[in-house]
Amino acid sequence: MGLLDGRTALVTGGSRGLGRAICLALAREGAKVAFNYARSDPEAGALVETLRQMGAEAWCFKVSVLDKPGLQGMVRDIEARAGTIDILVNNAGVGQVVPLALMEEEDWDRMMNINVKGAFLCSQAVLRGMIQQKRGRILNISSLAGVKMMQAPVHYSAAKAALKGFTEALAKEIGRYGITVNCLAPGVLDDGVSGNLPPAKKDDYLRHCALGRVGSFEEVAEMAAFLVSDRNSYMNGATVVLDGAV
Amino acid sequence: MECSSCNTAPSRKDRTHTFLLHEPSSCPSCNASLEARVVVRDDQIFYLKHCLACGPSEELVASDAKAYIDAFLARGEVPAGMTGDHLFKHTTSTCPGCLALTPARVIIRAGRVLFLKDCESCGPSEALVSEDAKYYVGAYAFARAGTEPLKFAAEVKHGCPTDCGTCSDHEQHTCLPIVEITDHCNLECPICIVNNQYANHISDEAFAKIVEGMIQNEGQCESLALSGGEPTSHPRLLELIDLASREEIGRVVIITNGLRLGRDRAFAEQLKAKGAYVGLQFDGFTADTHEKIRGRDLCQEKAAALAMLKELEIPTQLIFVAARGVNEHQIGQVVELLLSEDHILSLNFQPAAFTGFGGGNFPHDPLDRLTIPGVIKAIEEQTQGKLRASDFSPLPCSHPQCVSLTYLLRLNDGSHLPFGRFVDFRKHGTLLRSSATLGASPEIHDAMNDVIHDVFAREDEIPRAPEILAALRRSLDVMFPNRRVTPKEAIRLGEQQAKSIFLHHYMDRHDFDLERLRKCCHHYPQVDGRVMPACGFNMFHRGAAKGPSTPLAPWGKAPWTAEPPKVTLPLAQADHAARARLPIVG
Repeated sequence: MGLLDGRTALVTGGSRGLGRAICLALAREGAKVAFNYARSDPEAGALVETLRQMGAEAWCFKVSVLDKPGLQGMVRDIEARAGTIDILVNNAGVGQVVPLALMEEEDWDRMMNINVKGAFLCSQAVLRGMIQQKRGRILNISSLAGVKMMQAPVHYSAAKAALKGFTEALAKEIGRYGITVNCLAPGVLDDGVSGNLPPAKKDDYLRHCALGRVGSFEEVAEMAAFLVSDRNSYMNGATVVLDGAV
Repeated sequence: MECSSCNTAPSRKDRTHTFLLHEPSSCPSCNASLEARVVVRDDQIFYLKHCLACGPSEELVASDAKAYIDAFLARGEVPAGMTGDHLFKHTTSTCPGCLALTPARVIIRAGRVLFLKDCESCGPSEALVSEDAKYYVGAYAFARAGTEPLKFAAEVKHGCPTDCGTCSDHEQHTCLPIVEITDHCNLECPICIVNNQYANHISDEAFAKIVEGMIQNEGQCESLALSGGEPTSHPRLLELIDLASREEIGRVVIITNGLRLGRDRAFAEQLKAKGAYVGLQFDGFTADTHEKIRGRDLCQEKAAALAMLKELEIPTQLIFVAARGVNEHQIGQVVELLLSEDHILSLNFQPAAFTGFGGGNFPHDPLDRLTIPGVIKAIEEQTQGKLRASDFSPLPCSHPQCVSLTYLLRLNDGSHLPFGRFVDFRKHGTLLRSSATLGASPEIHDAMNDVIHDVFAREDEIPRAPEILAALRRSLDVMFPNRRVTPKEAIRLGEQQAKSIFLHHYMDRHDFDLERLRKCCHHYPQVDGRVMPACGFNMFHRGAAKGPSTPLAPWGKAPWTAEPPKVTLPLAQADHAARARLPIVG
């Protein structure tokens, strides 16, 4: 019996990287899994196949997290297929290494839009059903760079910190409907936005990490699966840091 | 972030229980018959008793409050095919002949609710109390906990209504203090529920003492009404308004017949300058209705008053006393007037009560009279569906049988939509805790957020949901700006967002219900510090319940006197009489 039997999850940015790992973990725990993606058609198709081979019902949608009508249509589609959306993982995000001096407005806006506005639009799209059900789990994927002082791009840190604030305020606002909102802040992982960290910075991180290693997508996905499960029933508005003790 | 609506005034606490109703019971010590207060506390049902001989006691009667309430409401379901009287409950009323407190059986007959009474002196009588049994029974589901004043004005000694008021056994604080500043009036209304054919004007000192007393009791008052008599006949009304214009008082409302307003522009401008509100008696549009209710044709005077109020944009409440066969056909027209004028914030329908100097003698049939459901039905029929009966809900602030209310949200196109179309008041009861308008309080902020989420979640089911959400968004922006607002400003900001229609049925010797008096929240504060629930005062203390010749109850006392009431009976006898069946004697 899985942690998420009978639940339906929507994972944003699910076709690759951490999002893919989360989709796989949720499916393994018994959830029906839907995810959206922006560009990666082959990866998305392959993941749906994999999920279905695991025995999960799975659907993917090519829609941007900034496309409000598209997101609403996707949510209606999932609800029509699965009945409800019980879980939303706001995973979609981008990273960019650029010093403030060279940062363009477009860089800032893109970072804030995809990482923060996308979470807002996706949460708003699923909330209608969650309020009706008086039940739901929202998990926002932030970063250690959003909760600790680190040498990371300013706009990236700002966006990930915004997700922490978003989590806390939304948890307060909709907790009365039995909906929990939490945040997961991974440290440096062996792939994804931190996958090509310069060796000097990676060494610096490892020197400060009690476990002396970087994390993996799978480790983060395991925690995500637990955080959105009914077993995690009283945590709300929290940010869980997964960094091996930095 | 600092809350924009908070202020430093001390806040009142909710009572620790929710008052539901009265039930016949007995003292656990001496077995004397008494009427118990039935309350919900910690999801259990208790009887709270006050025995004149043995004092207070309480009894746990049910451990599952919901099951008890469901069973109580089920008592109001008439078995299919039954044609006779169906007993719903018991209460204490008054004999219409001698005004003695009299047990009443509350029965359902042909879909209506009646009191059946049997006075030892005067014999049996019947009185209609509700034209719709379903509404009457269902209203009990709206009961909510009252709020305690900071200070009680009287002790519990002899029980209700003798101890008025208000004592610690009273179930609600003063939502609306009504200060009668004069007993003079320039009309002799055949429907008048008070006693005002004299020429006594309250002094500045006495008035200031009353105002100070209310602030001591309440901390702050959303409204303070100046009534009478005709308050505009008080020679120092403007000075009294100044005395009442304190930070702790949200609005000062002058309850007037409008005669002076219509002809005295300088006076009206002074009212405007002082920020006063006007409660305008407005009972119809034709000469005959005025003649029947107010004694003469007032069409021109009322039109002049309305024009003045509109021109000066004085915030206004219309007060429409509705009487069967007199003006009930003009109910829809006055609703249209409310909806058409921005400065008219609310409309208060008062089904006629047959008490007081005029009303005590007003021609009426106690078995065929307008009650709250009847007015609601007329509103629906006469507004062509613009308003529906389902838009109205009993107001749990007072006893749910006393008042019914709907708020009308101003949509961004200027039209209005009843809250009942998108709000389930059973779920969002906080919205009904306020009275005539939505105040910008932290509680209302939370309630509005709840409503917004609810409408948002049901957007596909609720007609005009996007318009409603846009209007609620506007209301939130206006009512809760990112700056500090004073309590007065909070009230003004709120009242621009929604109009209200308020139906308040005052009681008389036919439909008097001690249970309703228990939670009355419209009070007449007195110079001696007492705060008298309106219907108790009108019925027992003015000495005009059956017209000018009605004698005072032994505990009765005219306003503005500081002396204790003169009890003509020996105290023990008076106590007993007050609890059982008291002939009201001079």
